[in-house]
Amino acid sequence: MSIRRKLLLALLSALLLIGLAASGATWFAVHKAANDVFDYQLQQMALSLRDQTMQNQVELFPGFDYDFIVQVWDPAGSLVYLSNQSIVLPERGKGFETVPVNGKDWRVFTLSQADKTIQVAAPINLRRDRAVSMALRILIPIMAAIPLFALLTFLIVGEGLKPLGEIAAAIRRRAPNSLEPLPAAKLPEEVRPMVSELNGLLERLREAIETQKRFTADAAHELRSPLTALQMQTQLVERARSQGELRDALEQLKAGARRASRLVEQMLTMARLAPEATLQEPAALDLERLAASVVAEFGPLAEAKAIDLRLGRVEPARAIGQEQALHTLAGNLVDNAIRYTLPGGRVVVEIWSDEGGAVLDVKDTGPGIPAEERQRVFDRFYRLPGSGVEGSGLGLAIVKQIADAHGAKITLGETEKDQGLKVTVRFAKVPASA
Amino acid sequence: MRLLLVEDDAMIGAGIRMGLRQEDFVVDWVQDGRAAELALASETYAAVLLDLGLPRKDGFAVLEDLRRRKNRVPVLIITARDAIADRVRGLNEGADDYLVKPFDLDELAARIRAVLRRQAGRAEPRVTFGELTLDPSAHTVTHRGREVPVSAREFALLEALMHRPGVALSRAKLEERIYGWGEEVASNSVEVHIHNLRKKLGNGTIRTVRGVGYVIANNGDAPCQSAGSSS
Repeated sequence: MSIRRKLLLALLSALLLIGLAASGATWFAVHKAANDVFDYQLQQMALSLRDQTMQNQVELFPGFDYDFIVQVWDPAGSLVYLSNQSIVLPERGKGFETVPVNGKDWRVFTLSQADKTIQVAAPINLRRDRAVSMALRILIPIMAAIPLFALLTFLIVGEGLKPLGEIAAAIRRRAPNSLEPLPAAKLPEEVRPMVSELNGLLERLREAIETQKRFTADAAHELRSPLTALQMQTQLVERARSQGELRDALEQLKAGARRASRLVEQMLTMARLAPEATLQEPAALDLERLAASVVAEFGPLAEAKAIDLRLGRVEPARAIGQEQALHTLAGNLVDNAIRYTLPGGRVVVEIWSDEGGAVLDVKDTGPGIPAEERQRVFDRFYRLPGSGVEGSGLGLAIVKQIADAHGAKITLGETEKDQGLKVTVRFAKVPASA
Repeated sequence: MRLLLVEDDAMIGAGIRMGLRQEDFVVDWVQDGRAAELALASETYAAVLLDLGLPRKDGFAVLEDLRRRKNRVPVLIITARDAIADRVRGLNEGADDYLVKPFDLDELAARIRAVLRRQAGRAEPRVTFGELTLDPSAHTVTHRGREVPVSAREFALLEALMHRPGVALSRAKLEERIYGWGEEVASNSVEVHIHNLRKKLGNGTIRTVRGVGYVIANNGDAPCQSAGSSS
């Protein structure tokens, strides 16, 4: 139902009700006033007849058809005077009474005196009619005003709702992909919150799209390097002039394909984590089990590189989160550590908790990250200059994103012996109820 | 021909080096801008292959400094940046060519040769001096209309000598042109290659300029002349 129709109906009903109430009140008031006035008239008339002798039928006011009638009785109870032959009121007590005569209600005033009893009466409907006509005089103009009022309401409401129409038109006129805020300057107070909320939504949407766009552009750019390498490597296979060269070229080609698929995999992980992505089905998780499974998973890779990957301090630790995401987080950290650690080195995963919550540490004996680079390494596609390691540049960005989604804090530091990298992920405390 | 490759991506760098070696180029490879500057300051290169997005010092900055120092070594930019603005900037800052990744190794080699040719002021792809003709793309040497088989090093040596005919090159200069970093150079290797070339092309083709080095001679059969007449 439109606001206009709703307002129209409500206002007209209210008007009708007010009209009826006013008419009703008028009717009551007029009726009461008329009663008083008529009663007073009856009484005055009776009193004015008090001293007159009416032995005979006298035309009181000749040539006039009275609404009221007069009767005079003598003390013996016989009718001495009757103003209207057709109506005879019964002789009654005294004062005001309402008496039905010939199917009509009459208001009777009886004045009893020693020598006679005077009765003056008038039909009740006379005063009723007066009240009704007074009430109608109030009601009719109101009823007559209703169509005009309806028209005015229609127009005024339409005028009042115009800003909404303008906003709708402004939205309609926009380019389909425009995310510019709607103009809110000249809007009425009632509509402004709605438009400003809408603008807020548009702004958030624009930011999200911007982030996605940037990611896509970065990703396309980043894909170029592995593709360039692949193209070159296939060409080198083609060009190989000896078994040795062919073997080398194929080895490089395989490495190139691994690198490209890893990059794509990491990009997909990143895209799935998208900025707005919230935690799906968070649950309280045992991090010891998670750490153990990650260490088991990366065991073969570490072994192939002659790196000693193991669990260090392991204590019960729980965090709320999504298992798959946290697995990716720990996996990326361990993968990074293995990547940057030279053969013969060591990677240690530790899990423990204190009063602040659960803590995951991944320590390696690699070259570490210089303090001035520690913020930048979390940027997408950022690689440590001169590290010479083929990474997607997404590993730590993914770790950061997962940590952020879990409200966990990451710190990069040195290991105890000031050598190698120590990544610490501190999770929020799990409430006792969880 | 000795080239400097500046490329931070390990795989691409390795690929380019391997591909260019197959084309008998000598390739020194560095992975950041600073190392490139060091190499350029200490060695002489026929051309530089320069990536733009480099750690430590951006490719554009390397190029700018190179040109500011009036170093005229030909520079080919090899990059993933394909925006017109980047290409224009690269060429305006003094690059001789601009190649967008991914590219074909054959095309890269052809473009390097084209740049080298322009640098030497030639339009003709083959280098001819007297009765000796070198085809850098086919790696063939023709002497008196007859194709002479030569090894990659011998070819490189001939190419270096024919780059500016009449200018004598020292043994050290020649070594520098035909060996990259980390390549084992026997103390008498240049002499050995010269000896082999003389056997294939005739004694007079390469003359020894006493105390200076070697120079390519106009007539392979002419007797050795004195050092004074060689320039």
